[in-house]
Amino acid sequence: MDLGIDPDQLGTCVQCGLCLSSCPTYRVTGDETFSPRGRIALMRQVQLHDAPLTTEVTEAFDTCIQCLGCEPACPSVVPYGHFIESTRNALTEHRGSRRRAIALWPLTKPRLLRLGSSLLAVAQRLRLVPARLGLPNQLPLRRRPHRSSGTDVYLFTGCVMDAWQREVHFATQRVLEAAGFGVTPTGDAAGCCGALHTHAGLAAHGERLTQSIDAALDPAIPVIVNSAGCGAHLKQHSSHQIFDAQEFLAEHLDHLPDVTPLEVNVAVQDPCHLRHVQRAHLPTRTLLRKYVSAVTELDDDGLCCGAGGAYSVLQPDMSQQVRERKLASINRVQPEVVASANPGCSMHLSAAGVKTEHPMVLVDRALAANSSTT
Amino acid sequence: MSDFAKLVGAEGPVTVVGGRTRWHVGGEVRPDAREVHAPSGVVSYDPAEMTVTVRAGTTTTELTTTLNEASQRCALPERGGTVGGSVVIGENHPEVLGRGWLTSSVLQVTYISAEGKLIRGGGPTVKNVSGFDLPRLVVGSLGTLGLVEEVILRTNPIPPRSQWVESHDADPFAVASRVLRPSAVLWNGASTRVLLEGHAPDVAASLNSLTAIGAWSEVDGSFELPQHRWSLQPAELNGCSGTFVASIGVGTVWRDEPQPRPALSPSVIEISTRMKNNFDPTGRLNPGRSAF
Amino acid sequence: MTTADDALLADLKRVLGDRVRADSAERALLRRDASVFDGGSAGPTCLCESTEEVQRVVRIALAHGRSVVPRGAGTGLAGGAIPLGAPVIISLSRMNRILEVDTDSRIAWVEPGVVNLDLTKHLTPLGYHFAPDPSSQQVCTIGGNVGNNSGGPHCLAYGVTNAHILAIEVVLADGEIVTLGGLDAEPSGYDLRGVFIGGEGMLGITTKVAVRITPNPPSVRTLLLSFDTPRDAAATVSAVIAAGIVPAAMEVMDQRITIAVENYVNVGYPRDAGAVLLAEVDGLPDGVDIDAQRISDIGRQHGATDVRQAASDEERMLLWKGRKTAFGAVAQIAPNYYLHDTVVPRSKLADTLEEVYRIADEHDLAVVNVFHAGDGNLHPLLLFNGQEPGIYDRVHAAGAKIVEASLAAGGVLSGEHGIGVEKQPYMHQMFSEDDLDHQERLRHAFDPACRSNPGKVIPVGHSCADIQSLRNVPEEVWG
Ligand SMILES: Cc1cc2nc3c(=O)[nH]c(=O)nc-3n(C[C@H](O)[C@H](O)[C@H](O)COP(=O)(O)OP(=O)(O)OC[C@H]3O[C@@H](n4cnc5c(N)ncnc54)[C@H](O)[C@@H]3O)c2cc1C
Ligand SMILES: Cc1cc2nc3c(=O)[nH]c(=O)nc-3n(C[C@H](O)[C@H](O)[C@H](O)COP(=O)(O)OP(=O)(O)OC[C@H]3O[C@@H](n4cnc5c(N)ncnc54)[C@H](O)[C@@H]3O)c2cc1C
Ligand code: SF4
Ligand code: SF4
Repeated sequence: MDLGIDPDQLGTCVQCGLCLSSCPTYRVTGDETFSPRGRIALMRQVQLHDAPLTTEVTEAFDTCIQCLGCEPACPSVVPYGHFIESTRNALTEHRGSRRRAIALWPLTKPRLLRLGSSLLAVAQRLRLVPARLGLPNQLPLRRRPHRSSGTDVYLFTGCVMDAWQREVHFATQRVLEAAGFGVTPTGDAAGCCGALHTHAGLAAHGERLTQSIDAALDPAIPVIVNSAGCGAHLKQHSSHQIFDAQEFLAEHLDHLPDVTPLEVNVAVQDPCHLRHVQRAHLPTRTLLRKYVSAVTELDDDGLCCGAGGAYSVLQPDMSQQVRERKLASINRVQPEVVASANPGCSMHLSAAGVKTEHPMVLVDRALAANSSTT
Repeated sequence: MSDFAKLVGAEGPVTVVGGRTRWHVGGEVRPDAREVHAPSGVVSYDPAEMTVTVRAGTTTTELTTTLNEASQRCALPERGGTVGGSVVIGENHPEVLGRGWLTSSVLQVTYISAEGKLIRGGGPTVKNVSGFDLPRLVVGSLGTLGLVEEVILRTNPIPPRSQWVESHDADPFAVASRVLRPSAVLWNGASTRVLLEGHAPDVAASLNSLTAIGAWSEVDGSFELPQHRWSLQPAELNGCSGTFVASIGVGTVWRDEPQPRPALSPSVIEISTRMKNNFDPTGRLNPGRSAF
Repeated sequence: MTTADDALLADLKRVLGDRVRADSAERALLRRDASVFDGGSAGPTCLCESTEEVQRVVRIALAHGRSVVPRGAGTGLAGGAIPLGAPVIISLSRMNRILEVDTDSRIAWVEPGVVNLDLTKHLTPLGYHFAPDPSSQQVCTIGGNVGNNSGGPHCLAYGVTNAHILAIEVVLADGEIVTLGGLDAEPSGYDLRGVFIGGEGMLGITTKVAVRITPNPPSVRTLLLSFDTPRDAAATVSAVIAAGIVPAAMEVMDQRITIAVENYVNVGYPRDAGAVLLAEVDGLPDGVDIDAQRISDIGRQHGATDVRQAASDEERMLLWKGRKTAFGAVAQIAPNYYLHDTVVPRSKLADTLEEVYRIADEHDLAVVNVFHAGDGNLHPLLLFNGQEPGIYDRVHAAGAKIVEASLAAGGVLSGEHGIGVEKQPYMHQMFSEDDLDHQERLRHAFDPACRSNPGKVIPVGHSCADIQSLRNVPEEVWG
């Protein structure tokens, strides 16, 4: 079956195996089938040698978290991300895409999503929602509206995050404003970025969503994104200037006020899409060091936490095994808070009892503490 | 076929006599065993390769002289005996931490098999993983698997400065935390002697940092070592008493009485027995002695 | 699938549950390792988690007349982990716990699936490391290191794996569990521990290892010397050793690979030098300064056009990252490579290198050289495009010539990657029939029936037991 991967590119993997340790699913299983090298070999088997799509083969592809931890580890610069996206697309077409498309449909309808979320919030308060779903502990019942403070930058508000974690957007906006930038939240004008669609093998759909965002926004104005997953997708697919929030602010560190740092020991958890795709995980530290008293590193070299967008729902077993590794690593350094710049990761971790905050929230809190004391 | 191979032949019990300095290790050789001598002489030596090819009957004294002329040394002991005997006995130099383990320094062995054939194992270069490791099998084999004709040994430069120092009050077990790479830390229950080696400023710096754990004075050399070697775990050494010299961090202890032979596990004995039978089916090599 | 195999699987499943895999996907993957060899056929794969499980799996395989192949991370380059004759594959990757670290005695007990670099990272806060540092250290396992007696850049001063292993728990091919070696200074009996290391999985299955841990040196100096030709670099290496200096590492890269590496790491490797020498000395501060100065002087006497010392730890790490990812960086030049591994006397390095370039030319192949120069350990990488028809014949022909040239220079077949299936056909060039016969006797002492990883190292045809072992299973069963 044609997976739509460029055969020359598929040939660039020399099966050296140097990517194995950077792959969360190989790390927890020790099984070559769940490794990048194995998955690439299977793609070759399927595409070049017409190997049948057995359950095991599709399972190998489905269990890939698409964290892309394997890409920076590969000295032969094999574009694994392209391979797996292409494979997922081919598989989705092969199986029929309706189910996933339906599941993701609400993301493109912000009002509906917010309504649904408010209903979920009520249900949560009535204790009808199992904790293992990994939703934020208390979904908001009502959300304050966004407001604009200028047009220096856009703040990309997206879909799920806007419904579930709008407070993070407010915090980000306040920090940007403290640095002297006038901020326009994109709101419903530019909704879902399409990242989840693309990962689920609905690339065309994802592409359309990104295009509609590009159409809605002024290309001259930089877009600040505080969700690592959306940022990664937009950096790859949008024609606008996209910046991760920490990345942007670390560049303008001197614009930000000097304040007494928060007394808190923060461990940084790098969302894969920030570290492996955007390769912009270091600015988080630059920024946090200025605003919290202790920044601790986890000892797992940025191995994925197992959230992976919809992955935690679609592959709960593997997702939880991967999370166990992350939890062990967090346990070894015993931080008070884990800073994570991706809503998916923080929900996934807090569902396991880890106290997580978005780095922008911590910075905002440090700034606020200071303004209330002076 | 080498002269030594002809000498050893293919039949009848046979034993190699070296310097007889460890003649009784592993049991008494059967009286009917024919005594032969291994050939001697340094065959080739290129200091820049850090290897020396030497015949088994060469005395360690002669080898040491040759190496010292080029400011080098090796892991073999320097007091009496032959190269072949030292290799098959397999004891390490008291300064093993500085000189390296004997087993790692034997790069190639040439020996005569029980069938009288010349066998070569290992290779001439300092690094080699070509096939199963016959040199390591021969080291410590007491001449029960093959009779050594020639070996290639790894050599090492003699450090610019070597200094033994002694302390009567220092804790010998604390030395390792003060000195990065001591060449020897010996303790006899009353005092500790440490061999410091390297560039002169490093030796001085190490000595200086040793003063934090005791008072030290320079001495000419190591302790006089009792005759018998005991092999213990480094962690067991603080239990030593009586007359002894212990090599801290290594686990070797020299005593006046021999160590009771430790019992090997049945599986190890099984492998070892098969090994002996595979290499010497008729039991003609060094009969009466056993390495296990 | 025959009923016999159903029975084997059923027995294995009883022990391991779903940690046995026998589907076609898994079997396709486990036919290979990181080498270019593609001829294996895998039986069921068992992801064992304990010594006892390994023992039970070995016994089940034995009862079903099947051989076993231990596998670590599968980064071996000589095909050591490639299954021949559809054996049961015993994967040790899940046995990856660091069991005990004793800094007083400087030992650590680890399971075989522990990743080499994970062990060193675990030891770093304690001030120690595991000295063997293969370029694959971020993925290869301690069990694999023991299997291949692996080396690395820093083995020049510290010695290869064999110098760092004290004791090994092994499950023998008959299922017996035995501990080889011990923590005492000079364990009595034959040095079965030493012999087992480098046994390429043919002497039994490692299930636990006591490794020596090495204190981190307080001071390190890393020098980057540029030369017009690889010959000058090689001459410098010999001269350094002749001057009585044993640096921690001495690595040479030729111009093409240096450019590729620089494109990847961007730390200022010179693009215009004909070769670079990366030399490192470690120890106490005064001594390393003296040695660094002497190496730099010797380099200049031998034609170094530039000598640079890494100014910071970051720069040092980056220089090493460049060296260690060199094999991958060649992807910029050609999609496939074949990495050779031979050793020659240091004095023959320059001549052999020139011979290697000539051989590559003759076979119309690109070649780059990056190697452990201090040990005389050559790593020529033949570069090619695997899609080109007939290319592998040319690559293998050139490889054969390189091996020949190395042996002619007084060298050996392999410095650290092992023999596996790769160098098996060349064993006759280095050893006589009698020599090989004795290697085989050594192996039979551990595994009289040739059940553990049969068909490797000793040339096929040498041992009838191997052939039997390999023929035992009809091709079509697992094919
Ligand atoms: C005072 C003193 C101090 C010592 N200190 C040390 C020390 O610190 N470290 C150390 O390692 N050693 C030390 N030794 C031991 C010694 O140097 C060697 O272990 C010893 O040299 C063995 O060699 P030999 O020629 O005397 O062997 P012999 O005693 O003649 O023989 C010992 C055994 O080896 C066999 N053998 C000898 N040559 C061969 C051969 N070519 N092939 C096969 N088998 C052979 C013999 O048959 C016999 O079984 C010391 C010895 C003395 C006398
Ligand atoms: C990019 C790259 C760079 C490399 N650089 C180096 C280098 O610098 N130096 C070097 O020496 N090697 C190097 N190698 C080769 C390889 O990484 C090493 O040989 C490594 O030690 C193999 O470890 P592994 O866990 O991958 O073993 P595998 O490949 O899985 O196995 C290797 C051999 O050991 C056996 N084995 C594995 N585990 C066990 C066990 N538990 N018990 C018994 N036998 C076992 C296998 O049967 C096989 O014969 C490199 C490889 C690559 C791909
Ligand atoms: S993806 Fe890259 S790192 Fe992984 S096996 Fe292939 S070439 Fe090696
Ligand atoms: S994307 Fe992540 S899960 Fe998928 S193969 Fe790469 S490292 Fe493994």
